Amino acid sequence: MKRKFDHPAPSEREQLTGPKYWRSLDELTGTPGFKAQLEREFPEGADTLDGVDRRHFMKIMAASFALGGAGLAGCRRPEKFILPYGKSVEGVIPGLPSYYATAMPVRKWAVPLLAETHQGRPTKLEGNPSYLPHGGAASLTAQASILDLYDPDRATAHKQVGATISREQVDQLLATIGQTYGGTQGAGLAFLAEESSSPTRRRLVIALRAKFPRAIWSEYEPVTDTPPVQAAQAAFGAAVRPIYNFKAAKRIVSIDADFLQAEAGSLLYARAFSEGRRVTKKSDPMNRLYVAESGLSLTGSMADHRLRIASSHALAFAVKLASAVYPQSAEALAPYAQGVEIPQAWIDACAADLRANPGSSLVVAGSHLPPEVHALVYGINTAIEAIGSTVNFVADESTAGVSSLGGLATAMKAGSVKTLVVLGGNPAYNAPADLDWAALQKSVGEVVRVGYYADETSAVGATTHIVRAHYLESWGDARTVDGTVVPVQPMILPLFGGLTDIEVLARILGETNPDPYALVATTITALSGAGANTDKVMARFLHDGVLAGSAAKPVSVRFNANGARQTLAAVKPAATFSAKSLEVRFVCDHKMDDGRFANNGWLQECPDPITKISWDNAILVSPKLGKELGIYHANTGIQVARQEEAEFTMGKENARVFELTVGGRTVSGPVHIQPGLSNYTVVVPLGYGRTVTGHVGKGAGFSAYPLRTTEAMHVATGATLTDTKTRVLLANTQEHWSMEGRDIVREANYEPATMPDGKSYQENPGYVNTIGMESHAPSNLGPVGEKMSPPQRATQIPRGNSLYTTPQFGKKEDGYHQWGMSIDLNTCIGCNACVVACQAENNIPIVGKDQVMRGREMHWIRIDRYYSSGDIDGGAFGGEGNTTLPEEPQISLQPMTCVHCELAPCETVCPVNATVHDEEGLNVMAYNRCIGTRYCANNCPYKVRRFNFFNWNERKLDQLYLGPLGDSGMPELVKMGKNPEVTIRMRGVMEKCTYCVQRIQNAKIQHKVKMAQAGQPGEVRVPDGTIKTACQQTCPVDAIVFGDILDEQSDVSVAKKREQDYAVLGYLNVRPRTTYSGKLRNPNPKMPDYNALPMSRVEYDRKNVPQTHGHGAAAGAHGSPGNEKQAEKKGAH
Amino acid sequence: MSKLFPKSANKLPLQIIVYLVVLAGIATAGVTYYMTPKYSRVGYAPVQPVPFSHAQHVGEVGLDCRYCHSNVEKSGHSNVPTAQTCMNCHSIIKSTSPLLAPVRESYANGTPVPWVWIHQTPDYAYFNHSIHVNRGISCVECHGKVNEMDTVTHMQPLSMAFCIECHRKPETRLRDPKDVFNLNSKRLSEQGAEGAKKASDFVHDWKVKPPQSCSGCHR
Repeated sequence: MKRKFDHPAPSEREQLTGPKYWRSLDELTGTPGFKAQLEREFPEGADTLDGVDRRHFMKIMAASFALGGAGLAGCRRPEKFILPYGKSVEGVIPGLPSYYATAMPVRKWAVPLLAETHQGRPTKLEGNPSYLPHGGAASLTAQASILDLYDPDRATAHKQVGATISREQVDQLLATIGQTYGGTQGAGLAFLAEESSSPTRRRLVIALRAKFPRAIWSEYEPVTDTPPVQAAQAAFGAAVRPIYNFKAAKRIVSIDADFLQAEAGSLLYARAFSEGRRVTKKSDPMNRLYVAESGLSLTGSMADHRLRIASSHALAFAVKLASAVYPQSAEALAPYAQGVEIPQAWIDACAADLRANPGSSLVVAGSHLPPEVHALVYGINTAIEAIGSTVNFVADESTAGVSSLGGLATAMKAGSVKTLVVLGGNPAYNAPADLDWAALQKSVGEVVRVGYYADETSAVGATTHIVRAHYLESWGDARTVDGTVVPVQPMILPLFGGLTDIEVLARILGETNPDPYALVATTITALSGAGANTDKVMARFLHDGVLAGSAAKPVSVRFNANGARQTLAAVKPAATFSAKSLEVRFVCDHKMDDGRFANNGWLQECPDPITKISWDNAILVSPKLGKELGIYHANTGIQVARQEEAEFTMGKENARVFELTVGGRTVSGPVHIQPGLSNYTVVVPLGYGRTVTGHVGKGAGFSAYPLRTTEAMHVATGATLTDTKTRVLLANTQEHWSMEGRDIVREANYEPATMPDGKSYQENPGYVNTIGMESHAPSNLGPVGEKMSPPQRATQIPRGNSLYTTPQFGKKEDGYHQWGMSIDLNTCIGCNACVVACQAENNIPIVGKDQVMRGREMHWIRIDRYYSSGDIDGGAFGGEGNTTLPEEPQISLQPMTCVHCELAPCETVCPVNATVHDEEGLNVMAYNRCIGTRYCANNCPYKVRRFNFFNWNERKLDQLYLGPLGDSGMPELVKMGKNPEVTIRMRGVMEKCTYCVQRIQNAKIQHKVKMAQAGQPGEVRVPDGTIKTACQQTCPVDAIVFGDILDEQSDVSVAKKREQDYAVLGYLNVRPRTTYSGKLRNPNPKMPDYNALPMSRVEYDRKNVPQTHGHGAAAGAHGSPGNEKQAEKKGAH
Repeated sequence: MSKLFPKSANKLPLQIIVYLVVLAGIATAGVTYYMTPKYSRVGYAPVQPVPFSHAQHVGEVGLDCRYCHSNVEKSGHSNVPTAQTCMNCHSIIKSTSPLLAPVRESYANGTPVPWVWIHQTPDYAYFNHSIHVNRGISCVECHGKVNEMDTVTHMQPLSMAFCIECHRKPETRLRDPKDVFNLNSKRLSEQGAEGAKKASDFVHDWKVKPPQSCSGCHR
């Protein structure tokens, strides 16, 4: 202490209250003005931290400057307040998060979740590990859905004809509807609702029908899964739907079914699929996936064999497959495949493979395909003994007694609907165009809209808009895809007084207790069986987040060929397609779903996993069609083997705008050439082009709904494309799509080729070591280092040659852990859930389309997508260069984030030591030191550093360039959603993946505290599995493993010891802590499109192993099991 | 032609340099002295809405720190008690005192008592109470002898240098774990040779290795 602080003698006021004062306020506090201020300010401002804080501070500061001579007070920090609860809240410990089980309902199923709340504010969602089939995973949209809760653009007040009405008036209105139509038995009353799996809503709807027998209850979703049930009705004579067991399936055929992403239950299926896909040792079996599809889905990107067919030809494909699998049916089925060319050799080899694996094969058809395809698939599955083993059927009564949207529209046209209650959904935006919903809705006298947003449907003639509660504000229940009942539990009271669907229904019904919790409790108690105690049942239900034993029981079904044949009766001959007559496939967007997430910034900015376009959708066309339409590339000027078909200018895809016309209806949108599409199918993602939405969704993409009609909801034919000669810029985050024959993603076939070449996994599990620069060069680690285990390398090999003192691992200063990660490329399906999970956990801002086009997106983890076709031939390699896109590329996906190099190139160039290593091997960023030179990003070989070019958090994205003239500040609502454990970064600092350092530190602290209290204070090492990074926790396929590499038994150490573990760019000797497990493909040697090597490997060999090269011709020579270790474990741990 | 500058101007560059150096020195010294937490925070003792005296409650009545700051051993954040905690006693003792009016009001309405925050760390520094008090660091190290304070006063700078000093030499600050909440106790290192031995044993047995790199506190 350099100074003794002598306070002046206490003033009169101090004598009274006792305390001493801070110097600059001494005189001030005695003045009458300040006293008045104290009295006036606290009572009115005390309820909000911000109000007290800022205004009070400003007043005091102004006063102290005015009194003069106390200018230094300006250097002091503002006065802040600690605001404890008035009464203690049970279970809440300030500073520690609480976790509650809940679920996100989506159409007819739900994702069980665990919500992290900080003193009542939910900040992060994870999958509920109690629901075992998901294993704690959550989907992309579930991760992002929390942002909607804090969306400043959400509806914030109940409105009636433009005027705000109170909650009491809403209740009154709903009761009045019930009373009015009670007398007419409901005649004139109609409901239009979203689909729901809620047992409580189901119960209320049944009660509703009993009370208002003449009312119309209809449900509408723009994407449906009713055809499988219709087909089952015909083929099995029962209303059942299939549930697949991919884990047991060794051979899988998907007919236009994106079961890894778009189909209901994709989370469940992706996880099970990955379990059959994961290969950790030679004896592990690997499934084989055949995909016949029109677009390029994530499922298609995982395919071992992929056939491009038009969706309209799916029937012909199914017919051919059925004929091959069950030849007795061939004759009867033959007419239905006429006029469609499907390669017979492909079908035969595929069918033979299915037949060779009876009971462990599976055929899946997309739920958008017509019932006849499903009926055939049921037949095939019966023939290959799949039913009961790889596919089960459960009862489906979801459509019983539900009117369709068409039925409702007919009634509305007839004028028999006087009051329409629209529960959720957005029919004015997404109803089939032939219904002209907007006009219909205007014709109804009273429209009561219950909606989360004031959207298109609220804007067209809705007399009343009732705010709908977010699911994180609601009591409710739902069923997962396998029928398990899960709770929807509120984390916070409705922020804007919203109502839930069940509450609305209960109030219209005039239930004595419309409290949603009571409604749910009644349902759940009834479901739990007779005599159940409500309190006990609910306590258990809410604690576990699942109702034990509530999963649907499989029913036994018998295939009836005659019944199935009836579905074929109405089949029309398949159309043939050309550039003049195209097929249009409407797909549910990867991120926007059907448009419901249009105002979600995290999802808008998340690039589509295949096209890599963010903030927009596009008309996807095949390269062949692109050529016929006259779309040619402009030379990129980059000396690469590939030339892009699309035109790029500095990360901006300069796309041509085309008009897409189907049946006289036209929309226009940018065209993006997408390899892998069926030649004459254009794929149009739904969910964009919202006209009435918030700031985020405004202007994103174009709407394809105006093209859809009741008859052609998912596939339309006879479309044409015409050039408008205009251009639009798309924010494409990955301009370049070829690995250029490099070794970024290392791949091999699972089984040896017909002519064994030593390059397959079975022949050489360490195949990754035969690829890449390292395989040609002496090891960076030297012969001694190569023999070491990852933890030994991490701690014993000196990391030197740096001017900075880097931790000398293995010595006293070392931490007790060394963190590392391993990512399995073989199971990664590219679903993007990790990207948004990271964004939610680490307070990563969005930057808007304009900034993404400048390459300034902030995602800490990205998923790189590469195409390879095996015919790389560039000017750079002495060839003529490829001028066309591959029609049928193989896709390789790779999550890429900071790999935490031990010898990090970023650290050596930082002039201010802002990025340094810590004791446990993390490459950390000290934001406060960073001065924003961006040298580190420049020197990062992995390009994973992200720079805050603007103050994304404080500035509006459309006013970034106004600088200080623009609005500043974050809305209170947005602030509530931030993770309090992570710093909000300012403009001008660099940031990047931290391995979720906040989770690491908190877990270490909690473990040490626990052990100290348990009397074992020396146990400071955190047990393996305690810490999960955000990306790892949400990964549906468990592709990411994180942990302590000092622990030889930890999952990550085991993963890193596997032979197919390699470091990307390992030859740089940066010693990344994140390593990758090589990708495997499992093609069938009997197939006509069999490739003896993965395409990326072919390209690698073409570039790096010229036939004249001494050892190149037999590149396998590198890979003999004896020397692979030496080859390139190159400092990768 | 007359000279534009007198001869004395030859010294001017040197004078300017000296002047600037002195000025910079003064400015640096001034900033270092007046703008660092040692000056700007230490001694901060704001008026609280209720003149709560720790000296009376801890020193005289003998309450444990953890009676009010009940979660300090569990959470990173040491909680300031709710009005309900105060009312446990003050619904009986001094139940009509005008000084306690804000507490009674808070208990009745749920509106918080706006205690002025004294020991602030910056938002980007994540200090965790539980790990310190569970592993031999007493409250007194950062907060001073609160048990003798009528008005809580900021005693230590709580700057990064202050934190790092201890993180580098934890053995100098450790206390016997049972003395952590006894603010009159002595550090082990101040208990003679035996204490020093205990302190080094503590560091060894408990594997005390406080983080010294950025990630320890900044996230």
